Amino acid sequence: MKDAELTNPCRVSFVLNGEPHTFDTRPDEKLLDLLRRNGYRGTKFGCGQGTCGACTVLMDGRAIYACLLYAMQAEGREVRTIEGMGTFDKPSEFQQELIDGGAVQCGYCIPGMVMSAQALMEAESTYPDEIVKEYMDGNLCRCTGYEKIWGALRRVLDRREASLKADKAEKPAP
Amino acid sequence: MKLKEFVRPSSVEEAHQVLEELGTGGMALAGATALHFMQGEQPVTAVDITRLGLSYIREEGGYYRIGATTPLADIQRHRAPRWALHEICRCMATHQLRNISTIGGNISRVFPWADLPVVLLAMDASIVVYDGADEQEISADEFFRDQPARRLAGTGKLVVAVKVPALQAHHGFGSVKVVRTAAAFSMSTVAVCLSLAGEKVEAARVAVGAAVGIPQRLPEAEKLLAGRHIDAQTLDELARTVETGVACRSMEGMSPEYVKHLTGVTARDAAERAIQFARERAQ
Ligand SMILES: Cc1cc2nc3c(=O)[nH]c(=O)nc-3n(C[C@H](O)[C@H](O)[C@H](O)COP(=O)(O)OP(=O)(O)OC[C@H]3O[C@@H](n4cnc5c(N)ncnc54)[C@H](O)[C@@H]3O)c2cc1C
Ligand code: FES
Ligand code: FES
Repeated sequence: MKDAELTNPCRVSFVLNGEPHTFDTRPDEKLLDLLRRNGYRGTKFGCGQGTCGACTVLMDGRAIYACLLYAMQAEGREVRTIEGMGTFDKPSEFQQELIDGGAVQCGYCIPGMVMSAQALMEAESTYPDEIVKEYMDGNLCRCTGYEKIWGALRRVLDRREASLKADKAEKPAP
Repeated sequence: MKLKEFVRPSSVEEAHQVLEELGTGGMALAGATALHFMQGEQPVTAVDITRLGLSYIREEGGYYRIGATTPLADIQRHRAPRWALHEICRCMATHQLRNISTIGGNISRVFPWADLPVVLLAMDASIVVYDGADEQEISADEFFRDQPARRLAGTGKLVVAVKVPALQAHHGFGSVKVVRTAAAFSMSTVAVCLSLAGEKVEAARVAVGAAVGIPQRLPEAEKLLAGRHIDAQTLDELARTVETGVACRSMEGMSPEYVKHLTGVTARDAAERAIQFARERAQ
């Protein structure tokens, strides 16, 4: 019997990159497969077992591995993929820094790195190294040795931290 | 593990009922991160238990009650006076896994590398299980006496919470996990929870995991620490007692003898941390 015959077709609805969507799926399908099958190919398949981070997406603002999550677990959630981050014409600040810093070699790990960094930027307001390492500990890069990726992220985080501080200083105390 | 259906009950009672009816054809699904390790079994119906209001950390009297579907990341980020669970959670897997793996999933089916059972044994925690009528509180000693998944399978019983005693002023806790790389599975995890009376250890609980098949307490080590003066000799003796008293498995190119030695040294480190914890938070 084929795998697909063992499971029943079903549907899952969630908000994907800001737009509500309903997809046909099966109970056994992983979110990564659903996304790639539907054209969201920026999210990569690396190890398929929760160790490399190439498949990282955000669910309700938290970074998760789409290769381990069943698509049905995303019902009613808010999912963001690399397609929601930036475009070739208009890259996000971190994506631009990665390009400018020559931090991309094969590029396979980059979508996952960008998603983990996004979770970090949205959840935290200060970025000490310990916290940055914590958010980025689930993304492997086989090419760069991390230094340039780290440098690019550090530049973005330093600017962001300074601007958050300035915003706070401008706001009068209640 | 293959899934053939996916159901979302709306209450703990309904989840229990559905699971009981499905018997071994059903399975509670929390983060689903362990299914990857559970290959080759019959396809099952997944019963999603993550939307039942079981994700919380509450202080209740002398203990913390942690809901079964609380992600490890939330336990890691939680802060409270003498809260000690964040330390081990920070060392478990990666950020993405900690965001979705739950405390209930980590303890309901114990894999050899599971870290939380070790910590819960040392902390004298209890596990709250819903059996369709009542909540039963089971001591960690009883819950981890063998594979809990074998006892839970097909019964509809659900772990709904974990109760961890709040540490008091003279209490200390330390957990050490030995890994080759930051996100790797543990080679040896040891946790020590103790109470101090001046410069003496009043009582201690010591537990080990990863190096052994199923997490377990180390009664000989606990006996050795009780009433002993805190000094280098006591800690050396602790390391030797653990090394000689624990039956370790070989792993990743390491002989059982090496793993024993590693576990002895790790126990010493964990005890030192526990003592430091107690001294730093003496008030
Ligand atoms: C690459 C990788 C590395 C990892 N590294 C570590 C590590 O270093 N240390 C560590 O401790 N863990 C580690 N883990 C996590 C661990 O192996 C399990 O995957 C995880 O703890 C399971 O949690 P979950 O919420 O995803 O449970 P699930 O996968 O949803 O469920 C696991 C099992 O428990 C049952 N179950 C779940 N919740 C309940 C409940 N409330 N009541 C009754 N039964 C229940 C399920 O039916 C299933 O049998 C790692 C996982 C991966 C994938
Ligand atoms: S593909 Fe998901 S973690 Fe590697
Ligand atoms: S750039 Fe190739 S894996 Fe990171």
